Amino acid sequence: MTELNVSNIQFFSTGDGPGIRSTIFLKGCNLRCPWCHNPETVSPYPQTLVYAGSGKTVSYGIRMKIDEIIEAVMQDADFYSSSGGGITISGGEPMLQAREVAELCKRLRELGIHTLIDTAGGVPWENFEEVLPYANCFFYDLKTPDERVCAETVGGDFHLIIGNLKRLVSSLADVHVRIPLIPGVNSDDDSLKKSEKLLASIGVKTVDLLPFHRMASSKYDAMESTYAFRDTEPLSEKRIEEIKSIFNENFSVTVER
Amino acid sequence: MQTYDDAPKVKKGIVIMKKSTEYLKREISEKFVGSWQSDYFRALGYFSSTSEDNARQRADAIYTLFERPVPHIFKNDYIVGSIRDVMTDIDEETRRRSSEISGKYIERGFGSNADHYSTDYGAVLSEGLPGMLSRIEASKAAHAGEEDRLRYLGAMETALSGLRARLLKYSDRCEELVGREGYDGGRLNWIASNCRRAALGIPETFAQALQLVWMIHTCYCIEGRYAMALGRIDQYMYPFFRRDIDNGVMTEEFAEELLENVFMKIYEHRAYGGADDVVNICVGGSKPDGSSDVNELSYLVLEAVKSCATPGPNLSARISQSSPDEFLDACLKVIGTGIGYPALMNDEVNIEALRRYGCYEEADIYNYSMVGCIENFITGKQPPWSDGRFDTPRYFEYLFNGGVSYDGKSEGIDSGDVSDISSMDDLMKKFEKQIADGARKYVERFCAHNKKERPEELTTPFLSCFCDGCIEKGLDVNMGGSKYRSVHGAAVMGVGTVCDSLAAIEKTVFADGTATLAELRDAMLANFKGYEKLRETLLRAPKYGNNDDFVDKYAVWYVDFLSKEFKKYRTPDGGYFYIAMAANTNNISAGREIGATPDGRLAGEPLSDAASPTYGRDTRGPTSTVLSVTKPDYGQVACGTVLNQKFSPGMFADGKREKLASLIRTYFARGGQEMQINATSRETLKDAMDHPEKYSDLVVRVSGFSAYYVTLERAVQEDILSRTQQE
Repeated sequence: MTELNVSNIQFFSTGDGPGIRSTIFLKGCNLRCPWCHNPETVSPYPQTLVYAGSGKTVSYGIRMKIDEIIEAVMQDADFYSSSGGGITISGGEPMLQAREVAELCKRLRELGIHTLIDTAGGVPWENFEEVLPYANCFFYDLKTPDERVCAETVGGDFHLIIGNLKRLVSSLADVHVRIPLIPGVNSDDDSLKKSEKLLASIGVKTVDLLPFHRMASSKYDAMESTYAFRDTEPLSEKRIEEIKSIFNENFSVTVER
Repeated sequence: MQTYDDAPKVKKGIVIMKKSTEYLKREISEKFVGSWQSDYFRALGYFSSTSEDNARQRADAIYTLFERPVPHIFKNDYIVGSIRDVMTDIDEETRRRSSEISGKYIERGFGSNADHYSTDYGAVLSEGLPGMLSRIEASKAAHAGEEDRLRYLGAMETALSGLRARLLKYSDRCEELVGREGYDGGRLNWIASNCRRAALGIPETFAQALQLVWMIHTCYCIEGRYAMALGRIDQYMYPFFRRDIDNGVMTEEFAEELLENVFMKIYEHRAYGGADDVVNICVGGSKPDGSSDVNELSYLVLEAVKSCATPGPNLSARISQSSPDEFLDACLKVIGTGIGYPALMNDEVNIEALRRYGCYEEADIYNYSMVGCIENFITGKQPPWSDGRFDTPRYFEYLFNGGVSYDGKSEGIDSGDVSDISSMDDLMKKFEKQIADGARKYVERFCAHNKKERPEELTTPFLSCFCDGCIEKGLDVNMGGSKYRSVHGAAVMGVGTVCDSLAAIEKTVFADGTATLAELRDAMLANFKGYEKLRETLLRAPKYGNNDDFVDKYAVWYVDFLSKEFKKYRTPDGGYFYIAMAANTNNISAGREIGATPDGRLAGEPLSDAASPTYGRDTRGPTSTVLSVTKPDYGQVACGTVLNQKFSPGMFADGKREKLASLIRTYFARGGQEMQINATSRETLKDAMDHPEKYSDLVVRVSGFSAYYVTLERAVQEDILSRTQQE
């Protein structure tokens, strides 16, 4: 029986696609974004986070059979159908478990459940081919429009990521590009305009902007690791509006908070 | 007939003083001299009463109470009627004599059908005071020769005349004030004529109708009644609203301003008395043919309550399957401001619950409204409400401790040594016996209290005028006058605590065998001191609110059993005992009195709240809470249910509200009865920073991420706080 390496399942997800959704966070990532707000999903191995202040203890990482996942998420089927929601598969990098994800999506599709894959795209194109017949929608992260930043800050293969995005768009998949707005990395005017140009040239239609937040700082503490963005202030509302206007011309833009 | 042209502020449909509500609030909050002297104004009537008859004497006192005080008219009033009238300054000797005289006449209290009543204002407005007075005349003729009834009808007439006199006195006072500094003469004349119309005729305009309603309400208030509902205001005011709008004599904005003018005065109760009144206002609903009752006025009432932003009006929205999505969305927008209402009621379930009693006519059921917080009331057709608290987890103490509470202060029945219990079935039977005994005692206690005073000495001639049947029968509302009998709501408390406890017993003792019932008893008696391991095991057992049938089956049992048990009994006048799945924060005080429970809860900790799972134990989020909580059959819960849910303010933003609406629609479609949603306000978030223990399950959701607020660093909490401010 196929298993997935699951970090955790979040029910009543309201920021990860249309309607009420359950988000399956998979464990393991091939990028190392220093601002990451889900650092517990980076390592493929189980981890337990102990929050010093409140004493809360939360464990992440469990191998789940597809049947178990289906049973868990189908409890909320009524909510998906009443809201036009479904299942989001996120991470970590869900496309690292493409074969298993494809099987999960296939099963969910048979049950009439909308599936959405939230990926950063840095995997071989073959992985996308696995899931393409079954997934309804993709959220595709663009961390940076800059090859060097991609390699040095994020640890990703820029050409692979952009190449996959191009092929995904031309395969007529439903693709929403998501840009995390990270101060000092990609949210200055130059980077944003570069991103805008790049995405327009690829033929992307919708862009979601995700303003940086530092809610993850206590996760880093609980993992006893350092967090480079601990003291980074969130962008001002004014700045977010300015950024939105950069994309407004060529894209349908939403700011996801 | 006079029109709004007399009111210079609203000429040509332009509202100049939209700020009147704000100024009114300031006026209400100003310092003044005097204190609550209703005894004095009553004593004037008692003193001069020439009758020997109790109702007659009370009516005379009601007359002076309504008519003698100097009307208080705020400069920003459009609709007049203030409880400040009876806040006056009198000398010590007069005060002493007044309370001596009035003190002889005991007043009813909560528990003896004094208040928590919803008037059928629609009926009142259709006939006006002249119609009511002529019905009294007709009833007198019909009861010729029946001395008692004739006397009572006379008392009703006097009480009602007190209301008429009060309206006329307000009218006169308005005219006197013309020309006084700060008052608008045109507006005063307009108010004066509205009051006259309300006193002497059938209201024709929206303002006249609202004036009559509000004056009746203030009469209840100065009588000392609390939690008197305004009922289905969007329904009974609608014909007047429609006519005035169609005739072009009123704008929607002005209608809203008039509503605000009334709702803001509910705040007087807090300003003078220090506590909020709980004036339930009901909007929405459905008709027997299933169609929606939502109209333009429903939205204006929501807007008006939102603008007032005071806790006084307790808004309830009857949401049916036919309610438009825009209406639910409008409700969520109001909730999103952080004021915590409207409470969202599942119309289908409430109607079904009332219908199952088989004693109410369909049309009356569909016209139900709420009194107090959530209690379902057959509008204007049953005596004032009463309810009480029935905390169920305490029966574990009697079960485990030979029929005596752990502190030795209270007793249940002796169901034998707990170690002799050999199965979960056996335990359930004995637990049921304990609860059944408790319910019987509760009912006995209530009935004894309710019957304490002789009804003929505690007559209610004013309120009886407004309860269907009393005028026709010539009988007091509490002596068989009303169409339906009185009902009592037993708020059964602690469903989460009980379910978690039963599941913990089943799992630990009977399924896994890791502890015996005797060990469990010893552990609870020691408040788990020295039994920490056992407590951890108990805490690990399945918890209510996570869609786990192992524990949720006990919630189904809980509602079935308690509703069945209370249905066996009757109130002193032959009405039903309903149950409510509500707590009204009493779960905290009740918890203080109750020892450790088998779910691992420590002595003194709060019980689970209302119909909700135990705080912080429903860890799968709101969808699972809904899945668990909708398993019981709430068609058996006629009084009403409260499921408290908190959401961060971001959930009320455009694009997110419809997800919340879907959650609610699904909850209702699955048979959920009520949801009370709180948008965590800035104040809550601040409080959570200082008292994380109180907010352990407060979740902040953003894209791809959710976190318990209390686990966040202070700087991050500040980020969220500043975001809340912008919204």
